[in-house]
Amino acid sequence: MNNSTILSGTDLSKKYGDLEVVKGASVAVKEGEFVCLVGKSGCGKTTLLSLLSGLEKPTRGKVNLGGREITSSSEDELALFRRDNVGFIFQSFNLIPTLSAWENVALPLFPLKMTNEERRRRATELLDKMELGHRIEHLPSALSGGEKQRVAIARALINNPKIIFADEPTGNLDSSTGEAIMNILNKLHQEEGVAILMVTHEDELAKTANRLIRMKDGEIIS
Amino acid sequence: MNLRYLMKELYYQRRRTLMSILGLSIGIALLIVLNALSLAYRQAAHVPLREIGADITVQRSGDVPKDLAGAVFPCSAVTIRKEEVDKIQKLPGVRGIGTGLLLWVFDPNRAWIVLGIEKENSIGPSLLRSSVTEGRFLGDGKPEALVEQAYARQFGIRLNDVISVADKKFPVVGFVDASRAAKIAVANVYLPLKEAEDLAASSKELQSVSPYAPGDVNLLFIKADQEKITSLASEMKGILGNKATVATPDSFLKLLGSLFALSDKFTLAASLIAIIVAVLIAFKTMAGNIAERAREIGVLKAVGWTNRNVVSQLMSESVIQCFMAGILGLLIALVAAFGLSFMKVNIPIPWEMSPTPHFLPGGGDQIFKTLRLPVHVPWNLAFFAILLSIIIGGLTGGLLGRHISKIKPSEVLRHE
Repeated sequence: MNNSTILSGTDLSKKYGDLEVVKGASVAVKEGEFVCLVGKSGCGKTTLLSLLSGLEKPTRGKVNLGGREITSSSEDELALFRRDNVGFIFQSFNLIPTLSAWENVALPLFPLKMTNEERRRRATELLDKMELGHRIEHLPSALSGGEKQRVAIARALINNPKIIFADEPTGNLDSSTGEAIMNILNKLHQEEGVAILMVTHEDELAKTANRLIRMKDGEIIS
Repeated sequence: MNLRYLMKELYYQRRRTLMSILGLSIGIALLIVLNALSLAYRQAAHVPLREIGADITVQRSGDVPKDLAGAVFPCSAVTIRKEEVDKIQKLPGVRGIGTGLLLWVFDPNRAWIVLGIEKENSIGPSLLRSSVTEGRFLGDGKPEALVEQAYARQFGIRLNDVISVADKKFPVVGFVDASRAAKIAVANVYLPLKEAEDLAASSKELQSVSPYAPGDVNLLFIKADQEKITSLASEMKGILGNKATVATPDSFLKLLGSLFALSDKFTLAASLIAIIVAVLIAFKTMAGNIAERAREIGVLKAVGWTNRNVVSQLMSESVIQCFMAGILGLLIALVAAFGLSFMKVNIPIPWEMSPTPHFLPGGGDQIFKTLRLPVHVPWNLAFFAILLSIIIGGLTGGLLGRHISKIKPSEVLRHE
């Protein structure tokens, strides 16, 4: 971990009609840092994650990701930026049901001009790392919850992102599988130096992070 | 567009894909069948004239003879002067003319329908050459006769017998099977045109009703440029006067009485409805399919697919599905067309063109040309239907894709 900031959100607010879900939150994540965003359900964690990752635009405030101010970017510019710099892991895996494990991993590469063999090679390498080398042709429906999440992690890594955004990545898994997924994320952070911003409501999981950010009612409290 | 993703989506969502394809294919099949039927009726309407190598037949009605004795003209076919024939021949769009002279000959103990025909002409009743069943066709410059086979059988006329028509002797050199020929320009006895002209010119009864000189005729068979048939018909009426009967394929089409035959507008309206139904079916099923995939599209956008990438993928899926629907619709239509081609159609022959005197037994009966409806799917209709399917696919996929690509990933990816 070094001291340069990979992600910073300044004075971020998000309103849906009259309801202000995020209220003036400021967040910074350094390169290679593992930060957990914790708080009770409905406190605005996922919305803040969406604002910081460029999935959603803030009502007020600015986000700087990888040295680029992204709040004024167009939707397509943001998509391209996410493809090259950001990885996502979701609670409900969000794999495409009709694509095999390796094709799901290679999904961000589909719009890029490269051969299918190259896509498959890169996806298979990552699935091997996730110990899923024997499951590359399986559809998501044939995978267990833990395997699905490992496929999702491999997908998040396919473009060598600078930062991974993980939204309750163990929320749909039993405790032992959840622990295995956390081990993978920790390993990624420690060995690959990837910055991780993870949303969770479980304090136990958050203990493995370098730093905790606590939220309550849309505000950062510590 | 990623072909692998596209094919897997269509394959693994088989039920959804099949529903879309089936729905649209029915609309496409309907469109093809309606147009094939319309075309078949149009082609059927050409048959009676095509069988005598003509596109137009012309005759002129006149007065009924006072006494039915000797050679007379049927009241539906009186003299067309040589000068009038020459004028018609010079009309732009006329490619050739065949002539005939139809006579009713009332001998003391027999009535004949006599047709004087040109011996060598690819237009008109000289085409009967191919319907000779026994003996030979008429020779050059000889007074000889061909007799219709059924008529000869009925009256015991044999080959090489000599028949007397209006006191003139004609050896029978052959029999023809008129049932194989067209229903128009048929007779009991066929004579060389020159012989029929002599019979007409020497008949006082005929001359008193419709003055006649050798070289005049009373039946014209005209080959014309297809696109000029309608305009030529009215020009010929202008030359021959309002008593002229000018028969074109359209005349037969009107007599067919089918909705398809009656009106281009009906076919056009029915085709439009079929297209609209096809588009609505495609739009509805694909809108449902795409709405079900909102979360998937959210994932694509989250991992870096641009709106254009998403639209192009959905549009390609839609085009492929609609293309397959077009192919299936075409196959359904081909099967339906094959089935419909066994349907018989009776084309009424206008009474003016019936050679039989209406006062003879059966003479007043409506006669028909019966044929199998020539239903087939022409390649240009098939090509149009497939192209239309692809366009429907492109438009539907493009519109729905543009709409759905606007969703925000954060809205659809929130965990439940």
